[in-house]
Amino acid sequence: MRRCAQGLSLVIIVLASCAYILDDMALLLAAGTLLAALLGQYLLFDYRFRCIVTSVAVQRSLERSQVRKGTTLRVATTVTLTVPPTMHAQITERLSPQVFIQDGDTTLSVEPYLNPSTCQFRYRITPVVHGKMRFSGITLSVQNTFFSHAIDLLADPFSGPDLLIQPVGLFEPYGKRSTTESREVEKLKVVSGFGIRALREYYAGDDLRRIDWKLSAKHNKLYVREYTGMISLPPLLIIDLPWRTEPCSDADLDRMASAVAGQAEHAIRSYQYVSLLIISGANILFFSSEEKDLQRCMSVLREWMHPVERVVHQYHSRDRADIREDVRHLETIIMQGGEPGCIAFSGTLRKQYISMIMHMQTPAFTGQIARTLSSVAIDECYLFSLGCGDESHIRQIIRQAKIAKIVIHIRLPGALAALVDSADRIYRTADTVEAFA
Amino acid sequence: MRLEQLNYLFFGVLAAGVIGVTAWSGSPVWYLNLILLCLFGGISYAIRSWHDRAFYLVCAGEPLIVACGAINLWVGVFVVWMVAGIVCNAMCMLEFSGGIKLFVLFCGIAAIVAILIQVSNHVLLPLLILAAGTGAILAVQVIRDHQFIKQFGASP
Repeated sequence: MRRCAQGLSLVIIVLASCAYILDDMALLLAAGTLLAALLGQYLLFDYRFRCIVTSVAVQRSLERSQVRKGTTLRVATTVTLTVPPTMHAQITERLSPQVFIQDGDTTLSVEPYLNPSTCQFRYRITPVVHGKMRFSGITLSVQNTFFSHAIDLLADPFSGPDLLIQPVGLFEPYGKRSTTESREVEKLKVVSGFGIRALREYYAGDDLRRIDWKLSAKHNKLYVREYTGMISLPPLLIIDLPWRTEPCSDADLDRMASAVAGQAEHAIRSYQYVSLLIISGANILFFSSEEKDLQRCMSVLREWMHPVERVVHQYHSRDRADIREDVRHLETIIMQGGEPGCIAFSGTLRKQYISMIMHMQTPAFTGQIARTLSSVAIDECYLFSLGCGDESHIRQIIRQAKIAKIVIHIRLPGALAALVDSADRIYRTADTVEAFA
Repeated sequence: MRLEQLNYLFFGVLAAGVIGVTAWSGSPVWYLNLILLCLFGGISYAIRSWHDRAFYLVCAGEPLIVACGAINLWVGVFVVWMVAGIVCNAMCMLEFSGGIKLFVLFCGIAAIVAILIQVSNHVLLPLLILAAGTGAILAVQVIRDHQFIKQFGASP
């Protein structure tokens, strides 16, 4: 009951009390008719509330039906319902305490403008407790001028599906093991490593030696360990040389040269060969695939490790993905509302960005990098750069490496690497950003 | 018919009825009805743009119902009908046929309440009947609510 209805109830009690004390029929008439009106409103509200509840249809879809604990998962819930005029409904997704909401909306208001109304929740969750989790349903709150009522819709049509959350090894040491010619990767390979990359339920046919007996005893269900894979591919070394007319530190260049030489030597000694890609900005200067001779590799490095002339320049051109992200950010600002000036500015900027995206062409350098990465068998690469001047080509290399599922490590001068933070647009998507020793 | 025009119509009929009945009855406190009518009209005009004006309209209309009911019970019923019309209009109930039917139903129930009061010599008996009726309706509602929650709210 809302405050209006509470106020009217008080008026009815006062009128009825006065009518009884004064034995006045007019007061009784006022109290009686008001009581009838309030009861009528209540019955009408209750009838409409039931109509709304019976009209509710919930459809929930998960990105995956089973995930590892700590993995972020996208959920989309579509709710269809009919809200009669003069009523307002609010729907809240009921989520288990087993999950943590990363982003998105789990509460929506439904106005009686369109009937039946369809609304959709889109949010991302991160399971923090392993086991089976069922989406329990929704909470529907309905109100009109006088009354409000909420109901937890937990029956079968509103709940489900089930999400199976697999445990992860909590006490596994961080960092991958490596031997002379191979190293561990978080992938299934023919040759298993020593580290545990995941724990999952036992399926018929699994190797019994892989059963984790402690975990199985704890949860009364058989769990097996999935070990990391072993791989023996050498990394690709990408060396980004500075532009001749650009001021750069000679000491940093020397340090980079010695770091590249050390890495190349280590790769040849460990994996028998190394691939080198020498670039300067958006210019590919030299590519050596699977070089086995250490002496030849060192002579190539001696020949190239100096500032060079750049024929092609990118003039700090922005990446298409970054512009799309900006468009999404501006759309969020517009949807949230605020000062009219700010919204108008955001709208204009959004139009400009969209027009930029429409007329943007893929740079030739992007295609060259994609082709180079696909031509060598690698699963990780090291990009050495002095990080001075235009860095737009670095963003493109990182993006192409990510598309090819290649782990990318950026090596920068110490002073620059210390300044790079997680919000940096160029380097944030790289797997590691470190200073070269 | 637009809602505003409907509001004026209800208020016009109410004003005409109250003034006419006050003049016909020759009540010594005739000015009280007119003051309460003006008060109701003034409040109704002042809060015409408020979202939750139904509650204030009901509160402003009750003194007029009591004052007119004191002259004659059926005049009180007439005022109840008119005030209910204005309140229903404020709640946009008269925009659709279902709302109009509910308004007519309420007018009928108000008339039945008036008949019940008229046939009684004292307040106690009709008051008890009203209280018992309300209690019975609420009890039935509690059971229906329980069944409803069991059907839709129960987890599998």
